[in-house]
Amino acid sequence: MPALTIPHPLAAVRRRFERWWQARLPLTDTTVLTQRNVYILPTGAGWMLALTLLVLLVASINFQLNLGYLLTFLLAGSAAAGMHWCHATLRGLTMHLKPPEPHFLGQAATLEVQLASERRTPRHGVALAVHGSGRWAWTDVPAQGTATVQVAFTPPRRGLHRVPPLTAETRYPLGTFRVWTIWRPAAEALVYPAPEPGAPPLPPGEPRAGGTGSAPSHGLDEFEGVRAYRRGDPLQRVVWKKAAQALASGSDALVSRDAQQSQRHELWLDPALTGLADPEARLSRLTAWVLQADRLGLDYGLRLPGAEIAQGNGPAQRRRCLEALALC
Amino acid sequence: MTVRQTLATLPRDARDSLFLLAVVAWVIAPLASMLPLWTSTLAGTVLLYRGWLAWTARPLPNPWLLRLLLVLTVLGVLLTHRTIVGREPGLTLIVALLTLKTLETRARRDALVIFFLGFFTLLSNFFYSQALPTAAAMLIALLGLLTALVNAHMPVGRPPLLQSLRTAATLALLGTPVMVALFVFFPRMAPLWGMPSDTLSGRSGLSGSMKVGSIAELALDERIALRLRFDNPDFVPPQSMLYFRGPVLSSFDGNEWQADPVRENSATTDRLGLPAQLTVQGEPLRYEVTLEAHQRPWLLLLEATRDKPEIPGMFVFMTQDLQWLTSRPITDLLRFRAESYPQHRHGPQADTPALRALTRLPRGSNPRTIDLARQMQDDPALAGGGTQALVDAALQRLRTGGYSYTLEPGVYGEHTADEFWFDRKEGFCEHIASSFVVLMRALGVPARIVTGYQGGERNPLDGYWTVRQSDAHAWAEVWMAERGWVRVDPTGSVAPGRVGQFQRLQAPRGALAQAVGTMMSPGMAQRLRSAWEAANNHWNQWVLNYTQSRQLDLLRALGFSSPDWQDLARILAGLLVAAAAAGGAWTLWERLQHDPWLRLLARARARLARAGLPCPDSTPPRTLAAQARAHFGPDAEAACAWLLRLEQWRYAPESTTRRQSLAQLRRDLRRLRWPAPHPSP
Repeated sequence: MPALTIPHPLAAVRRRFERWWQARLPLTDTTVLTQRNVYILPTGAGWMLALTLLVLLVASINFQLNLGYLLTFLLAGSAAAGMHWCHATLRGLTMHLKPPEPHFLGQAATLEVQLASERRTPRHGVALAVHGSGRWAWTDVPAQGTATVQVAFTPPRRGLHRVPPLTAETRYPLGTFRVWTIWRPAAEALVYPAPEPGAPPLPPGEPRAGGTGSAPSHGLDEFEGVRAYRRGDPLQRVVWKKAAQALASGSDALVSRDAQQSQRHELWLDPALTGLADPEARLSRLTAWVLQADRLGLDYGLRLPGAEIAQGNGPAQRRRCLEALALC
Repeated sequence: MTVRQTLATLPRDARDSLFLLAVVAWVIAPLASMLPLWTSTLAGTVLLYRGWLAWTARPLPNPWLLRLLLVLTVLGVLLTHRTIVGREPGLTLIVALLTLKTLETRARRDALVIFFLGFFTLLSNFFYSQALPTAAAMLIALLGLLTALVNAHMPVGRPPLLQSLRTAATLALLGTPVMVALFVFFPRMAPLWGMPSDTLSGRSGLSGSMKVGSIAELALDERIALRLRFDNPDFVPPQSMLYFRGPVLSSFDGNEWQADPVRENSATTDRLGLPAQLTVQGEPLRYEVTLEAHQRPWLLLLEATRDKPEIPGMFVFMTQDLQWLTSRPITDLLRFRAESYPQHRHGPQADTPALRALTRLPRGSNPRTIDLARQMQDDPALAGGGTQALVDAALQRLRTGGYSYTLEPGVYGEHTADEFWFDRKEGFCEHIASSFVVLMRALGVPARIVTGYQGGERNPLDGYWTVRQSDAHAWAEVWMAERGWVRVDPTGSVAPGRVGQFQRLQAPRGALAQAVGTMMSPGMAQRLRSAWEAANNHWNQWVLNYTQSRQLDLLRALGFSSPDWQDLARILAGLLVAAAAAGGAWTLWERLQHDPWLRLLARARARLARAGLPCPDSTPPRTLAAQARAHFGPDAEAACAWLLRLEQWRYAPESTTRRQSLAQLRRDLRRLRWPAPHPSP
């Protein structure tokens, strides 16, 4: 019989409260921290300090030490000043999230946050993290300057994701108070499917519609007719991998693709060609193929259920295909 | 590589550790002499070892070693103190814990624990001294601990310690008003529960008995016994008036004088009224005494005080021999007012059996002095002169018999009076007084020794008189028929300089004092000392002796008719509310201070919205101008021009013209013609 895990009732309430609280926060890519969105609570060390102060006070009373009173009160005053200082470290800070770059599933996305301070004194010990992750990135914000922090975030699925809520925190200067803010950036991060590692070679090209009708070529090698470099061949036609091999073996001959041959076939990436059943695995392989084709500088097109991306090459084609794969 | 270069290139952890160790050492150092030797040694060794580990970047020792050391420490405390509760064992334990903790920690992470332990240690320094130098040293320690703490919360890079120090000092400075307010208004109360009885084990000045030689030790002690200020600060009494009466010693066992046991029976003293049978004449001297804690129950007052000094929280009474005592030892600086009558008489006028007890001498001691007494009684020149003639004769002998006053009389044997009168002929005030009283008793005259302080030094800066332990003195009192007890100071006969002049016998000075003396003129040294003591006195008066009564006095001065601690609480609450209100006002002001350009733009936007063109907050001025132009047509020209000017200056580099243009834009905004609201086309 499987063990039943009964969640702590308060934990559920707490989670609900957090969700409700976060839902209230406005979505914005630039946020200015003010009295309204900066929170403060004592830390464990703060409670320890309070206890210390109490003991010092009792000792001062019991031994009638006026100097003990002075010490206790000076420490209490410093802690109070530290509380305001701590709050002021975040208050007035401007946080701006740079639009996140798309990335592949499984890689950590880096969110780049710019912290700008107009204050004439620096702000020390500001930490940033994805809310709830506990992986803090620390920085100091210089006086009337900016600092950039990179926070890693690993989305669980491909697709378009809202950037998770971020937390900024500081305990400077005394560590007795924690001052924090929760910020929901409006930006969305695009996550491509993870490229399949060790994917098989590209599928064979299809004969161009209305072509010569010759038999479809099989496999990459055949498809990729290569010949020695001839003056005037565009750089895109150079097969760099083979060129590198050639260079390594001593002959400095560059290798070009035989346009004559490749023009007869069109490379179409189609889920059906992957030979896989699992839709996510298919997307994964297609992603690997897109990258492969892009590396080779081939023209390629992508057919997906409900979408078709025409033949093309270059970074724009790559991005189009990957976006389509991410969002389908 | 020099030490300095190495310090500059140390990794941050090592540098922080060394700094924290230095602070810990600074906190512990003043306690070293109070702790058991093994604790001081352990603390010193551990700190040095930890410093070496940090310096050479070696790993910290095995935690098991630490646990072993901890167990050994607790055992050591048990063995030394027989307990682990109480102040002394607690202090030993906390110092050991503090130093052992440094072995366990990486500086940044665990600075907190050391910080809190450090504060207890810091406070415990005040058990032993609350003087100005201690306060200054502990202020440095506090700043050091705060610096370490601030430094621990700067995780980025390798910030200079000076920066953390500046932050810590700023925090302390900002905390000072809080400290002052709390110190002044926090209600002072009696100890919450009984204090451990192990009172301060320091030296305590006078004692209830006098062994020959005990006061000579005090002659080297420059500590302050009490301070005094006459109500008329310009009044400079003759030194011969400055006899501060302490314990009166009446019984003598041959080498030690003892005070009569005090009967702490308030009923008797009340019924008898003035048990010392004191009658006074003339105007009293009115003055205020600040008595240092001396762990004994006696008040030291000028002779003779008739009226009970008012000391809150203490029962004060007078004994038959004119001593003023308190119901419990004086463990704190004590301030009170008193009145003394230099012209007075006390004691019975006629002979009583009790007086006969004061002629008693131990059998067989000082035979030669007794012989001397017999000779004097047989002297026809003295016969019929009464007691006064005998006293005069004895004083005459002291003056002319080749007796001298010395601080180093050597060790006296069994018959101290014999040795003084006949062999050594030199001694300190206690030898002289003791020998004199023995002679008087041998003559059948009731006599006793009074100890206390004689003289004092007036600080010209603030008019306070300072009486030091080195002013400790012993003199004699002789009973005469119809006159009662009469003070006789035989030391004055031997060394007239000891009594009646400002000079005191100077103890041989140490090498340092001598070096200082040769570099500074005596006048300058005297002035420096006066200034230092005035500062010290202010410290005592305003900080250390700020008691409940002074607190209530302050409230009275503030206009409270019958203040109590609730008023204090009310004032504190009022201050808190005022501070909160000030904070709220400041926040409001700060919000208003928010970028003046944006505020200006917001006003313009609001104006346009009223005219019928709502725009989101984020619209920049140029877009706003374009929209206004599209919406209102030529009507909006002036507003558009204004908006474009705003944009131009908003992003111009900071300069005076920029600030002036801000003011100009503000003026123009008021005069600007806005398009009339009309429905959009």
